Amino acid sequence: MPVAASAIYFLNLRGDVLINRTYRDDVGGNMVDAFRTHIMQTKELGNCPVRQIGGCSFVYMRISNVYIVIVVSSNANVACAFKFVVEAVALFKSYFGGAFDEDAIRNNFVLIYELLDEIMDFGYPQNLSPEILKLYITQEGVRSPFSSKPKDKPVPNATLQVTGAVGWRREGLSYKKNEVFLDIVESVNLLMSSKGNVLRCDVTGKVLMKCFLSGMPDLKLGLNDKIGLEKESEMKSRPAKSGKTIELDDVTFHQCVNLTRFNSEKTVSFVPPDGEFELMKYRITEGVNLPFRVLPTINELGRTRMEVNVKVKSVFGAKMFALGVVVKIPVPKQTAKTNFQVTTGRAKYNPSIDCLVWKIRKFPGQTESTLSAEIELISTMGEKKSWTRPPIQMEFQVPMFTASGLRVRFLKVWEKSGYNTVEWVRYITKAGSYEIRC
Amino acid sequence: MSGMRGLSVFISDIRNCQNKEAERLRVDKELGNIRTCFKNDKGLTPYKKKKYVWKMLYIHMLGYDVDFGHMEAVSLISAPKYPEKQVGYIVTSCLLNENHDFLRLAINAVRNDIIGRNETYQCLALTLVGNIGGREFAESLAPDVQKLLISSSCRPLVRKKAALCLLRLFRKNPDVVNADGWCVLNTLLFQFIDVPFIFSSSYAYRADRMAQLLDERDLGVLTSSMSLLVSLVSNDYEGYSSCLPKCVKILERLARNQDVPQEYTYYGIPSPWLQVKTMRALQYFPTIEDPSTRRSLFEVLQRILMGTDVVKNVNKNNASHAVLFEALSLVMHLNAEKEMMSQCVALLGKFISVREPNIRYLGLENMTRMLMITDAQDIIKKHQPQIITSLKDPDISIRRRALDLLYGMCDVSNAKGIVEELLQYLSTAEFSMREELSLKAAILAEKFAPDLSWYVDVILQLIDNAGDFVSDDIWFRVVQFVTNNEDLQPYAASKVREYMDKIAIHETMVKVSAYILGEYGHLLARRPGCSARELFGILHEKLPTVSSPTIPLLLSTYAKLLMHAQPPDIELQKQIWNVFKKYESSIDVEIQQRAVEYFELSKKGAALMDVLAEMPKFPERQSSLIKKVEDVEDTADQSAIKLRAQQLPSNALVLADPQPVNGTPPPLKVPSISGIKLDHESASQTQSQPNGDLSKVQSQIPSADLLGEMVDPLAIEAPPVDMGSHQRVYREEDGIPDEVDGTAIVPIGDQANKVEPIGNITERFNALCLKDSGVLYEDPYIQIGVKAEWRGHHGRLVLFLGNKVTSPLTSVQALILPPAHLKLELSLVPDTIPPRAQVQCPLEVMNIRPSRDVAVLDFSYKFGTSMVVSAKLRLPAVLNKFLQPLQLTSEEFFPQWRSLSGPPLKLQEVVRGVRPLSLSEMENLFNSFRVTICPGLDPNPNNLVASTTFYSENTRPMLCLARIETDPADRTQLRLTVASGDSTLTFELKEFIKEQLIAIPMGSRALVPAVPVPAAPLAQPPSPAVDANDPGAMLAGLL
Repeated sequence: MPVAASAIYFLNLRGDVLINRTYRDDVGGNMVDAFRTHIMQTKELGNCPVRQIGGCSFVYMRISNVYIVIVVSSNANVACAFKFVVEAVALFKSYFGGAFDEDAIRNNFVLIYELLDEIMDFGYPQNLSPEILKLYITQEGVRSPFSSKPKDKPVPNATLQVTGAVGWRREGLSYKKNEVFLDIVESVNLLMSSKGNVLRCDVTGKVLMKCFLSGMPDLKLGLNDKIGLEKESEMKSRPAKSGKTIELDDVTFHQCVNLTRFNSEKTVSFVPPDGEFELMKYRITEGVNLPFRVLPTINELGRTRMEVNVKVKSVFGAKMFALGVVVKIPVPKQTAKTNFQVTTGRAKYNPSIDCLVWKIRKFPGQTESTLSAEIELISTMGEKKSWTRPPIQMEFQVPMFTASGLRVRFLKVWEKSGYNTVEWVRYITKAGSYEIRC
Repeated sequence: MSGMRGLSVFISDIRNCQNKEAERLRVDKELGNIRTCFKNDKGLTPYKKKKYVWKMLYIHMLGYDVDFGHMEAVSLISAPKYPEKQVGYIVTSCLLNENHDFLRLAINAVRNDIIGRNETYQCLALTLVGNIGGREFAESLAPDVQKLLISSSCRPLVRKKAALCLLRLFRKNPDVVNADGWCVLNTLLFQFIDVPFIFSSSYAYRADRMAQLLDERDLGVLTSSMSLLVSLVSNDYEGYSSCLPKCVKILERLARNQDVPQEYTYYGIPSPWLQVKTMRALQYFPTIEDPSTRRSLFEVLQRILMGTDVVKNVNKNNASHAVLFEALSLVMHLNAEKEMMSQCVALLGKFISVREPNIRYLGLENMTRMLMITDAQDIIKKHQPQIITSLKDPDISIRRRALDLLYGMCDVSNAKGIVEELLQYLSTAEFSMREELSLKAAILAEKFAPDLSWYVDVILQLIDNAGDFVSDDIWFRVVQFVTNNEDLQPYAASKVREYMDKIAIHETMVKVSAYILGEYGHLLARRPGCSARELFGILHEKLPTVSSPTIPLLLSTYAKLLMHAQPPDIELQKQIWNVFKKYESSIDVEIQQRAVEYFELSKKGAALMDVLAEMPKFPERQSSLIKKVEDVEDTADQSAIKLRAQQLPSNALVLADPQPVNGTPPPLKVPSISGIKLDHESASQTQSQPNGDLSKVQSQIPSADLLGEMVDPLAIEAPPVDMGSHQRVYREEDGIPDEVDGTAIVPIGDQANKVEPIGNITERFNALCLKDSGVLYEDPYIQIGVKAEWRGHHGRLVLFLGNKVTSPLTSVQALILPPAHLKLELSLVPDTIPPRAQVQCPLEVMNIRPSRDVAVLDFSYKFGTSMVVSAKLRLPAVLNKFLQPLQLTSEEFFPQWRSLSGPPLKLQEVVRGVRPLSLSEMENLFNSFRVTICPGLDPNPNNLVASTTFYSENTRPMLCLARIETDPADRTQLRLTVASGDSTLTFELKEFIKEQLIAIPMGSRALVPAVPVPAAPLAQPPSPAVDANDPGAMLAGLL
C-alpha cells in the first residue's frame, strides 16, 4: 500500500487554511504557503491537479468553495490520494447531512479532526465507509437546516461490524416497502475535428443503486454485456440471443460484489449496503452512439468581422428528447457586437468566458437546429494575434438513453423471508467533455 | 469624477470580489461592455466616453491587458471641457508609451494646448510631454516648451513644468533638444548668414537664456531650471560659463542672505534642494577663474561648512548634511586652499566619530574621495585611530568604507601599522569581507613593504589566519619574491618551517611551505630539526590532509629533498621511494605521472641533479593582485567626482610618489635577469616622466628591444641579434632601468598614471591570428576591434575604434610600421572620437613576399587634458592569413612531393620542446591556420600530411606541402618536413609552423608564475640543441 498523503489541508478560495492535519513529518508546516503563492495566486490554478514545488507534490482538488490539498514528499500514489479525497468528502457529507463547503467545515471542526484521525494513519488510508465509521464516531455533525434525515440507531457491537464478513451492512434492517432503485449514468467524452472525424471518443458509466431492503438480501444483476452473455449461453448451452452485446472495459465493482462468483460465473451478485451506493463503474471506447452531431462553419471576414454558423443535429430516437442543451461557441477576445438568428432556444454573448452561449431547454430526437451569428470585433493596438480557435463545447442530458447501449436484463432479489420487491431502473446520458473543433 | 455612478459601481464590484477568479470574470464582462459601447455606430456622449475611458484605466491599473480604446482616449485630449481633457491626458500617458504610433495623433492637440492661453491645459500638456514625450515630441514641441519657459507672461507654475518637461526631453534625446530645441529660434534667424557664426552665436544665445533664467526670483522655477542646468552642463559645460557667477549668486542668496520666502525653508534651512543642485552644477565646471566669484563662493562654502551641526531632528539633520556634503565635494572639486581643506578634513574627522551611522558613513566615504583628489593625506592620517575604530563598527557598510579608506590612505610611513591592524581585524571580520580584506592586506604589504622579510611575515600570517580567503595569486606572489631574492630564501624557509610545527595549518600554507622547503630547505640543513629527513617527516604528515592538487606539489618537494640530502640518506630514499610507488597508480594523472617520473629520475642520481635544479628566477611582472582589486572597484558611476578625477590624473601621482615621502628608495633589489616586462606594461609607459632622467641607461642596452619583447613576451635573454632595422623601434622614455624594474617594489607613480589594458594583448593577438574578427585592444576608454577579409594576397582589415566613455578622445593617432613584405594603406584616422561613438578605419593589405614579420600599429590618443595613452599593437596580418586551404588526394600529392626534393625547396627539421598535443588537437591546430590536413595519405597513423596554397605578389599562388612525423612515445618532439616551390616560402612556413607548435602556453596556465620557455628569436633559425639542454624547458609543464 503506497503512501497517499503526508498532510492534508483544507483552504478556502482566498487561500486561508481552514483545517489541516499532518500525518507524516516529511513536509514542513509552511508548505501550504508555497501552494498559495505558486499555485493559487497564479494562473496555474485549475490547469494541472498535481504540481511539484520544492521537492513536494501538491495534489489538489476544488470542491464547492474549498480547496483540498494533499501534500506528499515521497513518491506517492496520486490516484489513491484523489480517491481518498473524494471518499473523505463523501464521508463528511454524510456526517453533515448536506453540503460540503467552507461554512460546513467551520461548523464541524471537532468532528472533522476526529474523522481525519480515523480515516488515515501515517499517510495510509483507512476505512472510509460512513456506515462503519458512524458506529464508533457517534458525534453528530452540525447539520445544515435544509437536510433532515432521520438518524438510525447505532448498533452496539461495533467491533463485530468492523471485523465481520459483511462489513457494509447491518443486520436486522426492516422496511415496510422493499424497493430497489438502479440508475445507469453515462457521460460521453468526445473530441471531433472540424471535418467531422472522431478524434477521441469514450463513455464512462456508473451504476448507482439505492436499496431499501429488509434483512440480508442477495441481489443478482444481469446486463447485456458481452462476457456475461457469453458465459450464460455457454452454461445453458444454447446460442446467444441475437441482441446487441456490449464490451465493457475497466469494470470496477463496489466491495460488496462477490468477486469469486463474478470470476467463475460472470454474474454480478452482491449483498447491498443500505441506502445509496455506487455498484460499479465502467468505460466503453467502441461502438459509442453519439447523441448529437455539430456542424460548425466560422468565417473571419477581414480584421473586424466574423460569421458563425452552427448546426446541431440530434441523432437519438425520435421519441426521446434531450434536456438542458448548451452550446458554447468560442469567439475572439475583441468581440464587440453580436447579432444572432436561432431556430430554437436563446443565444447571447458572454464576455467573461469569450463565448456565444446558446441554450435550448428541450431538444427532441431526430431534429436539427441552427444558429447563425454575425460578430463585429473592435480594432486593437498591438499587432493582431491570430485567434487560436478553441473547440465548441456542448452540455446536455438525455434521459432513457445510453450512449453505450447498455441495458439491464434482470435484477433479482433473493431473501430468506421471500418478500416482494419493487425494482426501478433509469438510464441517463450526460455530456462529459463534448468538444467539436471548428 | 464624482458624478460617475457606473464607474463607482464597477469599482465597488471589483472590491467586493472574493477572489481573483471572480475579479477576472467581472473585468472581462466590463471589457465586453466597453467594447460594445465603443463599437456603437451612433457614437458616444462625451460623458459616456469619459466614463468608459476611466474604467479602462482602472482595469489597466489592476493589471489586465487593455489593448483597445486608445483612439478614444487620445481623442479626448482635444475635447473642449476640462474633465474630458483631463481623463484624455491621464489615460494617454498611462496606456501609451513613447513608441506607440497613436501618439502621433495627439501631437497636434497637445501643441494647441501648449501654445494656448489656458494655464491648466498647458500644465496637463506639459505633464504628458514630460512623461511620455519621445523623439517626435521633442522634435516638434521642444521650441514651444522652451518659449513657455522663458516667457515672462506665464505664471511660475507653468514655467516650472516647462523646465522639467524640457529636462526630460533633453535627457531622452540630447541631440534633438540641444541642436534644434534650445536654440532653434536662433538657427532659423541666422541660417542665411555663415555657418560658424550660427554655431557660436547659438551657444552664446543658449547660455544667455540660461543665465537669464537663473536671475529668476521665484525659487520653484529656479529649482526646476537648476535641474535643467545640471543636466545640460553634465553633458557639456562649455558655453555655460556665464551661468557660473549666477549660480554663485544664488548660493549667496540662499546661504548667506537667507533671502527666501517662508514656504521654501525646510526646518530653517533655505531650500536645501536648490542649494544642493546649484553646488552640483558648479562641480561640472572646471575651476573658477574669476577671483571675486571664487572668493564669494568660498565665503559661502565656509559659511555652510561652519554653520552645520548635528541636531536631534532627523529631517533637519538629513537636509543640512545633504547640503554640507555637497559643499564638501564642491570644495574638493575646486582645489581649495590648504586651510579650507584641513578644515574640511577636520569636519569629516568630527563626523566619523559621530553616533549617527549615516553621517559616519558619509564621512568615511568623503574622506576616501578626498584622498583621491586632494593632497590631504597628512591631515587625514591624524584620524587613523578613529578610522581603525570604525573598522569595528557594528554596521557592515561602515566597515567597508573604513576598509576602503584605510586602503587608500596607506603609504610607506603608515603601512606597517595599517597592515598589522588589518591582519588583526581579519580574524574577527565576517566572511563576506575576508577575501577583500586579505587581498587588500596583501597588496598593501607588497606595495609598501619596508623590507621583504616583513612582507613574507605578513603574507604567511595572512595565510595562517585566513587561508580560505587567500587566493592563489597571493601565494604565487610570495613564492615569486622568495625565488627572486636570494637573501630572503633562508629566512622564508626558516619561517615556514616554524609554521609547519603548528598542529593544524591551512592547505595553502602547506603549498607555500612545500614549495619553499623543497627549493630552499637545504639552506637550513645545519639547523636543528631541519635535516632533509626531518623536513620530509613533517611535510609527509600533512599529506593525508591535503586535496589532490596539492599532492603533486608535495611529490616535487620530496624529489627535491631527496636530491638535496647530503650525504645521501638511504633511509630517506627508501621512504620517499615508497611514497612514489604508492602514487604510481594514483587515479589522478598528474600525480601518477610525477610519481613515476620522479621515481625513475631519482634512480639516476646525477640526472636528478640536472632536472631538479633550483627554479630559475621569475620574470618580473606587475602584480596580478592589483589588477584584481581594480576589477572589483570598477563601477560605471558617471559622477562629477569621477569626471573630475579623470581630468586630473596627476594629483594622485604626486601624493603617492614614494621618493619625497620617505626619502630613501626601497632597500631591496632583485638582481635582474633581463629587461622583460609584460608587453602592455611597456607599451603604456611611454609617458612616465618621473623616470625620464634614468632612461639613458636603458637605451644603451640593445638587447632589451621593445618590439622583440612584444612579439614574444616569454623570450628570455634574447641574444642581441640584428632583427632587421624596420623592426627596431626605440623610444627613449620607454625604458625604466633594469634595477628599478627588477625590484619587488614597483614605483607607485607609474601605476597610478597608467591606463591598464583590459585583457592580455598577446592573447588577443594570438586569438586574432586564428580568426578574422575580434577585439585587438581594450582599455577603460577605448576598444579597438578588427574585422578582416582575405582574398589571395590581398586583405582588407577594418579597425573599429570605439570610445567607451562619455567624453571625446582627442589627438587620436594611428601609425603603421609595416614590415618590408607587406604593403599597408591605412585610411585617414579621425583626430577625435566623439563620446560613445565608434569610428571605422579601413586598412588595405597586400602581401609581396612570404615573411613572418608582423606589422605594428602605433596607436595613441589623449584623454581629458593631459592623459596620453599610447599602445603598440601587432596587427593580425600574419603569414597564415595568406594561405588558402587545399585538400589533396594521394594522386595529386605524391608527384608534387617527389618533384620538390631536397633543400632549399624542401626542408626538414626535428623540433623539440613542442607543446604536447594529441594528433587530433594537432589537426585542429593546423586547420585553424588554414593548412589542411589530408587524412589517409601517410600509411603511418602517427604522421600527418598537410597541404595549402600560399598567395603573394612575387610568388604565384604556390602549393605548399608539409609532413609531420610524431613520436607517440614522446609528444614533445616531432620531425617536420615542409616543401614548396619557393625557398623563402619553405623556410618561412617551416618556421611559422614550428612557432605555432612550440609557443603559447594556453590561458589555463596564465596564473601560474610562468617558467620561461626558450623560444626562437625572430628571423633566426634557433638551434635545437639549446632546447634539449635547458632544464627549464623540461620542467616547463610541471609547475
